[in-house]
Amino acid sequence: MSRLSTAVPAERYLADSQVLFYLTDAVTQLLEHKEEYTQFGLIRYFAEYFSSVKNSNHVLFREFNYIRATEHNRASFIRVFWRCFRQIGKSGDLLSVPEYRSLLQLLCPDFPLEVVQSTARIVLTDDATDCLMSFSDFIYAFQLQFYYQEFLDSVLEIYLDLLAGKSPNTVIVPTSSSIEQLLSAKVEDNDKEEQQTGVDSSTLSQCVDALCDRINYSHPSRSCVRDILEQTDRVTYSGLLVSLAEHESINQTIGALPSRAELLIDPEMDQELDKLHSVVPQKRQKSGDLGFLLEVDKEASSSMEAKLRAAHAETIQELEKTRNLLNM
Amino acid sequence: MSDKEKRRSTALPSGMPTGKSVKSDGDHDFLAQAGVGDLLLGAILKMVEARSDDPIGFLADHFCNLASVTDSGSAAGCGEEDPQNSGSASAGAQEQQRLNRALWHLRLAHHSQRHEYVDEPLGAGEDQGVAAILDGSPHFPNQTGVNAGSAFSNNVRVAYDLLNLTGCKKQVDKAPEGSDGSSTDSSTSAGGGVRGGLYTQTLQCLCSEGGVPASTFAPLLRRLCCHDHEAVPCDVFRYGVLTCAVFSDYIRQAQRLYAEVCCPAEGPASRRLCLNVLGTLKEALETSQGCDTYYCVNANTKANTSLEANLKAIRYLQASAKISPLRLAQTMAGAQTLGPGGDMDAKEFEDAAAELFIARVKFVS
Repeated sequence: MSRLSTAVPAERYLADSQVLFYLTDAVTQLLEHKEEYTQFGLIRYFAEYFSSVKNSNHVLFREFNYIRATEHNRASFIRVFWRCFRQIGKSGDLLSVPEYRSLLQLLCPDFPLEVVQSTARIVLTDDATDCLMSFSDFIYAFQLQFYYQEFLDSVLEIYLDLLAGKSPNTVIVPTSSSIEQLLSAKVEDNDKEEQQTGVDSSTLSQCVDALCDRINYSHPSRSCVRDILEQTDRVTYSGLLVSLAEHESINQTIGALPSRAELLIDPEMDQELDKLHSVVPQKRQKSGDLGFLLEVDKEASSSMEAKLRAAHAETIQELEKTRNLLNM
Repeated sequence: MSDKEKRRSTALPSGMPTGKSVKSDGDHDFLAQAGVGDLLLGAILKMVEARSDDPIGFLADHFCNLASVTDSGSAAGCGEEDPQNSGSASAGAQEQQRLNRALWHLRLAHHSQRHEYVDEPLGAGEDQGVAAILDGSPHFPNQTGVNAGSAFSNNVRVAYDLLNLTGCKKQVDKAPEGSDGSSTDSSTSAGGGVRGGLYTQTLQCLCSEGGVPASTFAPLLRRLCCHDHEAVPCDVFRYGVLTCAVFSDYIRQAQRLYAEVCCPAEGPASRRLCLNVLGTLKEALETSQGCDTYYCVNANTKANTSLEANLKAIRYLQASAKISPLRLAQTMAGAQTLGPGGDMDAKEFEDAAAELFIARVKFVS
């Protein structure tokens, strides 16, 4: 605790901490579920609520507007998604956009498709968004897209302006219809060629720097963006996003996910699968001449694995759901 | 998930609007009756006062503390009916719990948040803290500027009340047991103070949490501690806590000072150099303690309170100047020529600095 922290005015401290948002939500939840939440006392309710916020367990099964409302909520959601579904990465399954969206909807019932589609555009090229993605590729791109949504949208606007030949010093009014028409006209004309070559990196870097000066939503560190843009003379928007998604400092700043090397480590599930595998080889040894049974066993074990995986994910969800109630 | 859907579907038939901004009268009544407003206001005020780096964590701890107080409060009624064995065990655990909570409160605000004016010049804070300890007596008179609303004072008061409560309870609980000899004398004043042993434990925890090794703060504790059976009044408690808090800061600064003076690669710093630096420190402390005569004379004339404050401020600034980087550099340059040879390691420097401080701490009588 800094002695000089008293220099921060109370209003700003309150605003920065976003505590009022959580208090409002806590009271709203309380009013919606009075009987359930007051049986152990009000103080216990608030203690549980804020403990779950502190431990990042509060976003499970909440609506999309809640999970995107604060940085902490977004990071917590990313982490919960990883914890619930990292086995998919382990099994090496590749999933499509609708499948990833279904997984997200298991945790957040109204999670929108657009976010998943934007994520896919980072992982795959624009044309191939109906292709399949690995869990690792998806989750890091998702992290970037979901956590820095507003920043990425702003950078896209800047990028399109630069593509359209606008000077970086032009003040953009995004909702102005005349500018939009101009933009779309310009982009259509020079679409394919310019998009492949992109824009001048140093210009984009300056614009992004200026953007960071005026915005109040979160953004990747300037040094990180500058590092990436210094690598090449010209850069495309998708190229920039791919580099950002893979940049370790982004991952560390958000703090929700481990590094790529440790992403798929899940000791508990490994134990379950090891138990399963220790059962299957014994059967194989016994059925020497009965080779056809081997195939049946394999199918059985893989379907059992899938069932086990699904059951595991479901169990985690159910446990999280009842955790708060059990703790009370 | 089905539970969540169930919850949502039961919410609708109750006739509550789905929009969060509109609250019905029923909701208002419910919140008012439950005292939600006061509860949350208290929490926010505490949070803003503490300005913790982790506001959500702070609130979680705050409500958990509050919840355990209410829980143990309701459980206390049945505690007296328990057999003596479990009674003493739970009393010990409860005491430890109260001690932990008291320490939590004491950690909330820095000791410099004792006065209304928080815009202290950088670096003067420690000197001010040190000086205020060293020239004040254990019994603080009502100083100008120290109002009941200052964060540190509030927290000390809360911690004292928490531990005092333990003292009261222990008298009630321990009457039938008689196993702990320390309880026999504490019945002199009902709720008259914190038990001496508990007070000493608090000070020990504060010092070690502040990063001060036990050997360094042992002499300080000898001056501050009370006998186990004594009841410690509030002002003594406050004096002890403040002294330990300032001492921890002081030792940390001394450690940093040594680190600046000595280059770790070249081994321990020369004795000459260290002694000179310590001498400068001593001079600064003495300067801040000076002008006592002025202080005493003016204490009789209430009209001169602003003059007192000015003199004090001047003293602190002079003390700060004595330990300014320029002054230290001059001292260190001068050390090359005079003084004894040999080296002084970090521990010795720390102990010497501690001695300078402790020599000025008044004994608690």
